[in-house]
Amino acid sequence: MQHKKPIVLIIDDEEAMRDSCSQILLRDGLQAETAEDGTIGLEKVHDLMPDLVLIDLKMPGISGFEVLDKVKEYDPDIISIVITGYATVESAVEAMKKGAYDFLPKPFTPDQLRIIIRRGLERRRLIQERESLRREKKLMEENFITMVSHQLRSPLGTIVQYFEVILGGMAGKVEPKQEEMLTKARDRLENLMELINDWLDLTRMNGGQILDRFRSLSLQKVLKDIVEFILPSAQKENISLELLPYSGDDRIQGDDETLTQVFSNLITNAIKYNRPNGAIKVSIEEKEDSIAVHVEDTGRGIPEEHLPYIFDQFYRVKQNGEKKSKGTGLGLSIAKKIVEAHGGTIKVMSQPGKGSTFTVFFPRARQESETG
Amino acid sequence: MGKAKILVIDDDADFVDAVTPILQSALYDVISAANPAEGKQKILNEKPDLILLDIMMDSLFDGFSLCNDIKTSKEFKELKDTPIIFISAVKEMTGSRFQFKAEEQGLVGPDDYIDKPVKPDDLISRIERLLQK
Repeated sequence: MQHKKPIVLIIDDEEAMRDSCSQILLRDGLQAETAEDGTIGLEKVHDLMPDLVLIDLKMPGISGFEVLDKVKEYDPDIISIVITGYATVESAVEAMKKGAYDFLPKPFTPDQLRIIIRRGLERRRLIQERESLRREKKLMEENFITMVSHQLRSPLGTIVQYFEVILGGMAGKVEPKQEEMLTKARDRLENLMELINDWLDLTRMNGGQILDRFRSLSLQKVLKDIVEFILPSAQKENISLELLPYSGDDRIQGDDETLTQVFSNLITNAIKYNRPNGAIKVSIEEKEDSIAVHVEDTGRGIPEEHLPYIFDQFYRVKQNGEKKSKGTGLGLSIAKKIVEAHGGTIKVMSQPGKGSTFTVFFPRARQESETG
Repeated sequence: MGKAKILVIDDDADFVDAVTPILQSALYDVISAANPAEGKQKILNEKPDLILLDIMMDSLFDGFSLCNDIKTSKEFKELKDTPIIFISAVKEMTGSRFQFKAEEQGLVGPDDYIDKPVKPDDLISRIERLLQK
């Protein structure tokens, strides 16, 4: 826990009131800040992030109730205590209903102020402690997932490593029949490792942990990096891959790591299920209240009867005469979870024989970031 | 320059055993250490040309700290330019975003990273690239 002085902000239009309260709080070793009206008060709430706010209910300009609402909206954990000048029970009750922690009827003695502030700050400390415990627990859970992942994948990795050495002829000559079987065994193991990874990804997603990593980002930049990264493997398959230019607003609130996973998955699928010499187009489109990203391929398409299920876990589209395809069957369901965690949706349109288009819709970044 | 000397630091003895023939096939000298402490000793005594470093050994992220030590601490002053490749079975800690994360923690990250199991050709070409620098 940090041991800095608690900050108390006093919002009151009476100068004498502000001064006397500050004096008392300063003497108690607190940092006292003042504001002469609601507007300035709210600005200071943003700038100083106080632990406790004392709000006079009756002020010119925006009312104490409104200030209380805005403070709650900004950070529900800030303790608000209202000063009720006209000592009516009704206004105190209303303030409590709006989330004030306590109320202080005028006139009050220094000791009354001290007691109520001390209790409020104690409450604040408990809230912060609870919050830091929650964070610690989450970190432990995350580390636990990493640990499990490590314990499951490490032995498999070492087994595959032995196969690589044998298959590479570094442990003596390998007969063709042996090579064939060892290759199959290696591939199955690698698939199992992928599955563990995907499954852990899903587990992570269920914890809703990605919300904490959201920040404002440019979709174009995210897509450009992915396309650049995947381009070599597309070229290897003789498939063209391009990101169409876009000049509109492309900022969303999101986590670039998981979004990279979504679009890598969609583009990799578009390569995997494309026709020879096929093409993939990635484009951004501005919609009325969302931003859409299309990943369009010229592949074999998905038969209509499969479309409702392709985002389900472990669902595989099997086309006639086809052997079991590689992959875990979790890729699209992970993508869907990630997109939904971003408040978005994912859709697919497909024409068998012509190709499929996967579209991800993101809500636009709200314009609230200007105040902080 | 003669044969390059590669130090593999990994607590999984079987992994060391399996990766050694790959390195030897490319004519490198291979030495190994089973934990970070032994790794430090070997780095100082043997002055390897390149280090393959496992991320999770005794604890969750001790590869991170060892890497940061080699790159920044006085102890390894003359050896701080030794290229380091991270090797890990845990994908979340590796991949394109790993270095970014090391920096976020205020640590100096590795020169390259590779997932376990390694593809022999991939491993050798990454090592070659770093040795040529």
